[in-house]
Amino acid sequence: MEEISLKAQEIFNIGGFGITNSLASTLVVSLVLIAGALIIRRNIRLVPGTFQAAIEMASEQLLELMSSMLGSMKKAEQYFPLIATIFIFIMASNFSGILPGVGSLLVEHGGHEVSLFRSPAADLNFTLAFAIISVITTNVIGMMAVGTFHHIGKFLNFKSPIGFFIGILEIISEFAKIISLSFRLFGNVFAGEVLLTIVAFLAPYVVPLPFLGLEIFVGFIQAFVFAMLTLVSISLHTTLHGEEH
Amino acid sequence: MESGGLLEQLGIHWQLLLSQAVNFFILLIVLRAFVYKPLLNTIKKRTERIQEGLEKAAEADIRLKEVDNIAKAHLKKTDQEAIEIIKSTEQRAELLRQSLQKKAEDHQKELMAQVEAGHKRQQEEVKKMVFDQALELVKKTLVKTVQMDPKHIDEALIKKAALEVKNHE
Repeated sequence: MEEISLKAQEIFNIGGFGITNSLASTLVVSLVLIAGALIIRRNIRLVPGTFQAAIEMASEQLLELMSSMLGSMKKAEQYFPLIATIFIFIMASNFSGILPGVGSLLVEHGGHEVSLFRSPAADLNFTLAFAIISVITTNVIGMMAVGTFHHIGKFLNFKSPIGFFIGILEIISEFAKIISLSFRLFGNVFAGEVLLTIVAFLAPYVVPLPFLGLEIFVGFIQAFVFAMLTLVSISLHTTLHGEEH
Repeated sequence: MESGGLLEQLGIHWQLLLSQAVNFFILLIVLRAFVYKPLLNTIKKRTERIQEGLEKAAEADIRLKEVDNIAKAHLKKTDQEAIEIIKSTEQRAELLRQSLQKKAEDHQKELMAQVEAGHKRQQEEVKKMVFDQALELVKKTLVKTVQMDPKHIDEALIKKAALEVKNHE
């Protein structure tokens, strides 16, 4: 059975910078998405074809969902690129993990055989980077929306001891968000990878199929959850105190 | 170093974190430029066109109703004018008919008067001619009668004389 490793393995080295199999997968997924973006850009028409209509329908559904959460379509359109990219990128990364060749193609590095590709979200660097981006971006958006001092006032409140304590809790919650977002995604995808590896080892034919279906579902749900939690965070940070009630 | 050890165990490296973040931002910029913006613009443009089309259709409906009303009003006015024209034409025709009838009657009366006058004149001429001939006859008869024997003058002789005169002629 293939060795199960918690961390991504280095497959080659460029000037002292080790490229891991997870980063390689991320780059491949990114390139595929960029190529897809260029193809879509070239084929966008005022009278849409089936594919464009499907993309537009999905975009409009997401925009409506965002609009209902943020309270206005203008805000939804403003933050749509961030949320949509998080969702698409994570989903594409999760789906890439179940493609043939991912985990099975091996290369030799440092005297060991390692997988050439690994599901990007099965590496904490990927999920942690996304979680940090999510938290930092939502805070920056909050500062831009309600004002820097007002936003920082949520965390550093010296008006009352209770307010101060709540501020401390808010700071802790932001760091907790990073941990929860990154480990939730990592845990789900990594567990899926482990499950698929074990099932494929025990019963290589037919039996892994339901688990592959399950992984597709989990991959979609986790991407959606990550995007929605980021959206909720944006919604909370862009709302002034008092507007909430 | 313990936390460093934990990060190492989890495989977390700041270079990898940074590269993942950079990768994400590049993808965000590309997708924003090549997909989201054009797609949202297209949707917006299409929505505007549909809205514009609906507004124009509503405007066209209103215009059509207005034009229909104008046409109906024109038709009504034209009908009234036509009725007026027919009425006035009928009146003029009636006047013309009366005038022509009067003229024809006058002409007929005139002709009748001329015919009567001619007839009278002819009658007068005939009368005069008859009278003249009668006078001539009587004169001649008297002459013949005078030439005959007065003793035998009687009605038969006179008649005979008259016959003779007649046969002579």
